[in-house]
Amino acid sequence: MQQEIMQQGVDLMLFGMGSVFVFLTVLVIATMIMSSLVQRFFPEPVPLPVPAAKAPVPAGVNDPKLLAIIKAAVDKHRAKK
Amino acid sequence: MDNLIGLWQDSGLYLMAPGQVVMILVGLLLLFLAISKNFEPLLLVPIGFGGILANIPGAELASSAVDAALHAANPDVMAAFAHSLGLDGLASVKEIKHAFELSTLAQHTAIEQLAGDFGYSNGMLYNFYSVAIASGVAPLVIFMGVGAMTDFGPLLANPKTLFLGAAAQFGIFATVLGAVGMSYLGWMDFTIADAAAIGIIGGADGPTAIYVSSLLAPELLGAIAVAAYSYMALVPLIQPPIMRALTTVEERKITMTQLRVVSKREKIVFPIVVLILVALFLPSAAPLLGMFCFGNLMKECGVVDRLSDTAQHALINITTIFLGLSVGSKLAADKFLDPKTMGILALGIVAFGIGTAMGVLMAKLMNKFSTQKINPLIGSAGVSAVPMAARVSNKIGLEANPQNFLLMHAMGPNVAGVIGSAVAAGVMISMVQAMGN
Repeated sequence: MQQEIMQQGVDLMLFGMGSVFVFLTVLVIATMIMSSLVQRFFPEPVPLPVPAAKAPVPAGVNDPKLLAIIKAAVDKHRAKK
Repeated sequence: MDNLIGLWQDSGLYLMAPGQVVMILVGLLLLFLAISKNFEPLLLVPIGFGGILANIPGAELASSAVDAALHAANPDVMAAFAHSLGLDGLASVKEIKHAFELSTLAQHTAIEQLAGDFGYSNGMLYNFYSVAIASGVAPLVIFMGVGAMTDFGPLLANPKTLFLGAAAQFGIFATVLGAVGMSYLGWMDFTIADAAAIGIIGGADGPTAIYVSSLLAPELLGAIAVAAYSYMALVPLIQPPIMRALTTVEERKITMTQLRVVSKREKIVFPIVVLILVALFLPSAAPLLGMFCFGNLMKECGVVDRLSDTAQHALINITTIFLGLSVGSKLAADKFLDPKTMGILALGIVAFGIGTAMGVLMAKLMNKFSTQKINPLIGSAGVSAVPMAARVSNKIGLEANPQNFLLMHAMGPNVAGVIGSAVAAGVMISMVQAMGN
């Protein structure tokens, strides 16, 4: 029994460590192939940051609700005078 | 007067067993470490509190209905149990317990029914444990959240660092051998399943450790989880001496080339590549790595931000609460106060040490064959413990060369370690189950 459990432990170590290394080696190769394929055939479109920078600014200024509120506030202020 | 005596006999003071006192103190110690020393507080606060709850005398929060009935040992109930187990009516509680453990499925169900009929119910923490951990759900959901928080960019920029993550898993298997060796020498009584579950502490990954031990050695889960999370908190103390001992100052000064920019598309394809490889080569790691890749894909694909956000925040937080309380339920005195716990704590720290050392040595070995030099300090990050281990690499690197920032380089082996320990977990689960334990 004790001999057997020692044997099982050694088996577990050899096969376990072996599978971890084999699997991660395969993963390294697959990752390298994947990266080179993606970079060669599906390169990312470059001008990404442009629309992101444009969008938020005009949204604040042209907001009709905000304009209405400002207008109402100005009117009220003038009416007081 | 009888009422007073009854009240006294129901009180915690009367029912408290010495083991429970010790375990409540252990729970308080965990709370102290978490709150005052900031040791993995997100887990140790629920675990410590759950541990205290589980040891409240008379409340039986961590017991099943049957255990609660056996503990109360009401003579009528015991007679009914004995009858349905085929013992004579005068059997002692111990005999009934033993017979129950050996009973057939039909008898088992009958006893559970009986306990319910007599008004005993499962304790709150017992229910949490069955739903969250015994089912395997909580560790896997957390793994999904971890996937959704992981950035594979540094790994994709330098895939060779996966080898560092692989080497550091040697800590797991060396510890398995250590645990088996302890049984061989007759110091402890670990089965091969116990040894595998203890070894996984070396993976330095909480959910993986809990998942494996819930499948292979549920009775050791409390000690294993506490060891795993405590040592993860101690990574900044455990790793640096080993890292310094194994490297020269010159090696620590090595600067690494800037990582290339990794495109969004590579990041989206990577979890799918991992998933396909798991499906082809290692189906036994599918639960852990499947959830991990799913979480990561949700993060990277960019079209399900709501789901990714839930997985990273709300869901992982909710799950952590129940996971922590459930682990705490395994800190019941009769299970935790056992020489095995000391063995587990001792083996756990050895596992961390060996994993760290192997990662560093692997980096040095890779430098022998490659022109693109690797700073061996990032090897230690291969033990997972994201992101603590990577920060340790960065810190030791800065000590040798204040201009050398290793953090991003160390994140590569760090996330590789997560994949590595999930692979190791999958292999061990399938092998140990095949060994017939």
